[in-house]
Amino acid sequence: MNQGPTIFLGVFLTFASAWLGLVVAPYVQLEAQRSQNAAKVDAPPETPMEGLPAQGRQVYRANGCVYCHSQQIRPENFGSDIARGWGPRRTVAQDYVGERPVMLGTMRTGPDLANIGTRQTSAAWHHLHLYNSRITSPGSIMPRFTFLYEQHQVVGQRSSAALTFPPEWDVKPGYEVVPTNEAKALVAYLLAMDRSRPLEEPGP
Amino acid sequence: MTLAYIVIFASFVLFAVSVVFALGWAMSHGQMQNFQRGATAIFDPDEPLGTRTDSFPGSAANVVSPPERSHE
Amino acid sequence: MSEQTISIAQTESQRQAFARQRAAIDASARWPVLGFFTGSVVWLLIGTVLALLASIKLHSPEFLDGPSWLTFGRIRPAHLNTVAYGWASQAGIGVTLWSMARLSRTELRYPRLLMFAVLLWNIGMLVGTIGILAGEGTSIEWLEFPAFAPPFFALAFAIVTVSTMVTFSNRREPHVYVTQWYLIGAVFWFPWLYTAANLLVIYAPVSGVSQASINWWYAHNVLGLWMTPIGVGSTYYLLPKVLGRPIYSYQLSLLGFWSLALFYNWAGVHHLIGGPIPAWLITLSIVGSVMMLIPVITVAINHHMTVLGSFRQLRYSPTLRFIVFGAMSYSAVSIQGSLQSLRTINEVTHFTHYTVAHAHMGAYAFFTMIMFGSIYYIVPRLTGWEWASGGLISFHFWSTSVGVLVYFIALTFGGWYQGLDLNRADVPFMTIVRNTLPYLQIRSWAGMLMAAGHLAFAALFAMNLLHFGKQRSGPTLFFDRPDAATLTVIGDAPGRTV
Repeated sequence: MNQGPTIFLGVFLTFASAWLGLVVAPYVQLEAQRSQNAAKVDAPPETPMEGLPAQGRQVYRANGCVYCHSQQIRPENFGSDIARGWGPRRTVAQDYVGERPVMLGTMRTGPDLANIGTRQTSAAWHHLHLYNSRITSPGSIMPRFTFLYEQHQVVGQRSSAALTFPPEWDVKPGYEVVPTNEAKALVAYLLAMDRSRPLEEPGP
Repeated sequence: MTLAYIVIFASFVLFAVSVVFALGWAMSHGQMQNFQRGATAIFDPDEPLGTRTDSFPGSAANVVSPPERSHE
Repeated sequence: MSEQTISIAQTESQRQAFARQRAAIDASARWPVLGFFTGSVVWLLIGTVLALLASIKLHSPEFLDGPSWLTFGRIRPAHLNTVAYGWASQAGIGVTLWSMARLSRTELRYPRLLMFAVLLWNIGMLVGTIGILAGEGTSIEWLEFPAFAPPFFALAFAIVTVSTMVTFSNRREPHVYVTQWYLIGAVFWFPWLYTAANLLVIYAPVSGVSQASINWWYAHNVLGLWMTPIGVGSTYYLLPKVLGRPIYSYQLSLLGFWSLALFYNWAGVHHLIGGPIPAWLITLSIVGSVMMLIPVITVAINHHMTVLGSFRQLRYSPTLRFIVFGAMSYSAVSIQGSLQSLRTINEVTHFTHYTVAHAHMGAYAFFTMIMFGSIYYIVPRLTGWEWASGGLISFHFWSTSVGVLVYFIALTFGGWYQGLDLNRADVPFMTIVRNTLPYLQIRSWAGMLMAAGHLAFAALFAMNLLHFGKQRSGPTLFFDRPDAATLTVIGDAPGRTV
């Protein structure tokens, strides 16, 4: 008996039944309708970050922050991202327009940062946290980014950008720690991260 | 639809087409017949069925045949 | 002479002829395959050091954290790329080239060009890895090499594909064995994937979030259409070859290949479930992921039934141990993968260490272990020298198999609990971090065990190349290249049409 056509028919039927059988259920599950109405933000997409925050994105990229931090909020009934206060709504495609690269992330060794600019508005906190995360967050396992900072002797007046440490962490007297341009850019990027603009209601 | 999704969808289609094409080639060139011959094509007169071809270094030569088994 | 003596003489000369053919094929593959294997072993060691660094830094963040090039965010992608492209891919290419030549019963074509490909590949690895550590990494997972590195790989790969296909098209064996289908698939699909992904994400990036879709379509297909075909294909050849018995159901093996070819390439976007990606794409990825159960189960049945009754042989064959371990891991990790793509499971496991455990089950417990087994089989046939120490081989097997199992169990449990807690908004984030620490520490210990195994493997490899130990003996091995006349006798099988 010629097995060829039999095999071909078997393959074709498998393929076709997979399509028919498995497309329907997941579609319903994944709220296909809601995302198909193409949720839009209620203002035109913001221009991609320019200037210092854009440079900061490259510092984020160069140092692999994406390997511990995500930048995406899952829908309300899928995980607890919104309940944790990481954002008021799920993130949609428009939230990432113009980003190069897009760093959605796939690990949450650290918290999600999609809206960190709305949660943490203090540049000073960010600098301390990046210099040594255990200063602001005991128990943190984030690496120290001391190479983004410069420690030197105070000459005359303390620099206005110098970090202010809590007493138990202070550097030795006569010395100060100032951020490099890279650190300033990175903090500007973190402060600018905001994907919380409300969505339009889906049309009728 | 952005270029990215077009490329991904096109690749699904192209892959599927190439698979169907290859399957057709296989069938028309007798690859789907005589599975017995196919399964034993990897054996030779000097590495025949029943002979192991691997052993730990320094151990005895491959002389033990696996137990007889019939199927199909 | 009596009839019996004539036929014995004929059978004996047949045996010798086949042995000569096989020796000639092995000889033709010697330099390119050993070249790729040497590259793979070197990068395995480098990748292992990077792995240990990354693992330790997660639970002890201040470990060696001064200079920028040692920060976790650079070490981690350096580890991934060195093991994926330096170790795994070069081992895979070596196995592909040798297997295709053997199964086609013809010499490997363009060996000198392939040596150039070895050089290109390893230069690409060097500049790419230094690039990542220098802060030029792209932060696109599995595509972190900066833009100046991929051209080396693209060109090297083109050479590999051409050599493989030309070798295949000059085959003397009329039947296309299932392994050859898998290998053709791998060398045909992967260049397309690699080029498309690099173009659309690195060189002329598509806008916004669709980068992520291309990223994960590519990254998963590295596992599904590059590593899996080579790993499964190699098993289909070496398992029966080592045991001396054919595959349990050859028909089933073909069904497995064709269904893998149809479904696997849809699966990749399941890495983005819940993310800002079109629903139709996510749906397709879940469909593809679930349909993969068909090829996975056929492969599982086939491999298991082929070995059934011969598990005793595991004591006597290094190759068999590694390959059987790898094949069982393939079944386990694939079924796990299909389950992970389902919404309810994904909700817990996404973003956690559970995924990392799964990735290592696939890339290590499945693919790397099969590559170890394949290399143990192939290298003595290329160098003519036996492995120097059975004890070291055993040590290698036990340290890596136990190591990866401990790794997998630790991070699977740690990741699952992490995911459950992440989904309870009342559990403070820092509590979750603290709870993962013991599992991360166990992973570091497991990693050190695996590293010890890699050192043993590298030592054995070096010793074989340097001709320590015993020369291979046996009636079937010839070292001087047979003349052309003897080869053509067995070669031209009748009935081959293409």
